[in-house]
Amino acid sequence: MDDAALDRALFALELEEPPADLRGRILAATVYRPALPFKMWEVWVIGTVMALAVWLMIAVLASVPDAGLRLASAAGSLLERLARNVSPSILGWVVVGASSAFWISQFTLPRAACAPYPLRESIEQRRA
Amino acid sequence: MVTDDELIAQTLGGRREAFGDLVERYERAVYHLSYRTLHDVEEAKDATQEAFFKAFRALTTFRTGAKFSTWILSIAYHACCDRLARRKRYSYDEIPDAADLAAGPERLAVQSDEARRLRAAIDALPEKYRTVITLYHLSGKQYDEIAAILDVPMGTVKTHLFRAKELLRKALSASVAEVRD
Repeated sequence: MDDAALDRALFALELEEPPADLRGRILAATVYRPALPFKMWEVWVIGTVMALAVWLMIAVLASVPDAGLRLASAAGSLLERLARNVSPSILGWVVVGASSAFWISQFTLPRAACAPYPLRESIEQRRA
Repeated sequence: MVTDDELIAQTLGGRREAFGDLVERYERAVYHLSYRTLHDVEEAKDATQEAFFKAFRALTTFRTGAKFSTWILSIAYHACCDRLARRKRYSYDEIPDAADLAAGPERLAVQSDEARRLRAAIDALPEKYRTVITLYHLSGKQYDEIAAILDVPMGTVKTHLFRAKELLRKALSASVAEVRD
């Protein structure tokens, strides 16, 4: 078998047929994968701030004598004051506000309203 | 027909579904390379998925003007290398050089005799020659593309290809002689 014949035989070979479920798996892992609510740098910033806050709290608690007891009594007195001063109507409005915020957060805004694709495309074309 | 560059621009512009078209175009080639390198259907599926996932995540770093096919095949090849290295680390057994016949016995049965013998001869090649032959088959004689995918000099690609073809010729002549006997 010469080189040309071997090449012909090689190029006549069919490619492996991918399993039927493969494309679905790939698309689920890429195109249809839900986007993270935060960007990676935001996750890092939030994590760093939280770690600093925890470190600061531990430092404060460790440096003040009976810090745990004082903190508990302060929280207790705060709750007591709140319970004394908050009227049922105020509590009702707080509940209405919180539930409204929750339901608004459940709506998905139309894509065009938050990231108009043609606009982004035209910006990129102008840049190019 | 929409070009790869246009599909990439659309994906980056927010129309993520455009990446699905790229998957449709290159899924078979990437799976072929993975399967020929790993000889295992499940691992080849995982490597293919991993390659597209990495490409999707790193799409912003893709150089305009470069070939998407070269890039995705290169990612897939490196994913396969990682898997082979892991296999070697965790197993004392040699990596099998024989094809996983369970992968498609029906298909093998209907293939012509010559194609079957050629496939078996490719499967019996050492890994580095097998990869070069697979990429030669996929990219159609584009030595520079094969060199870019494997990240080796073009001279190495030509040498490997020459030796691989020599081994294939020998294997095929031997199998033809066996059939005649």
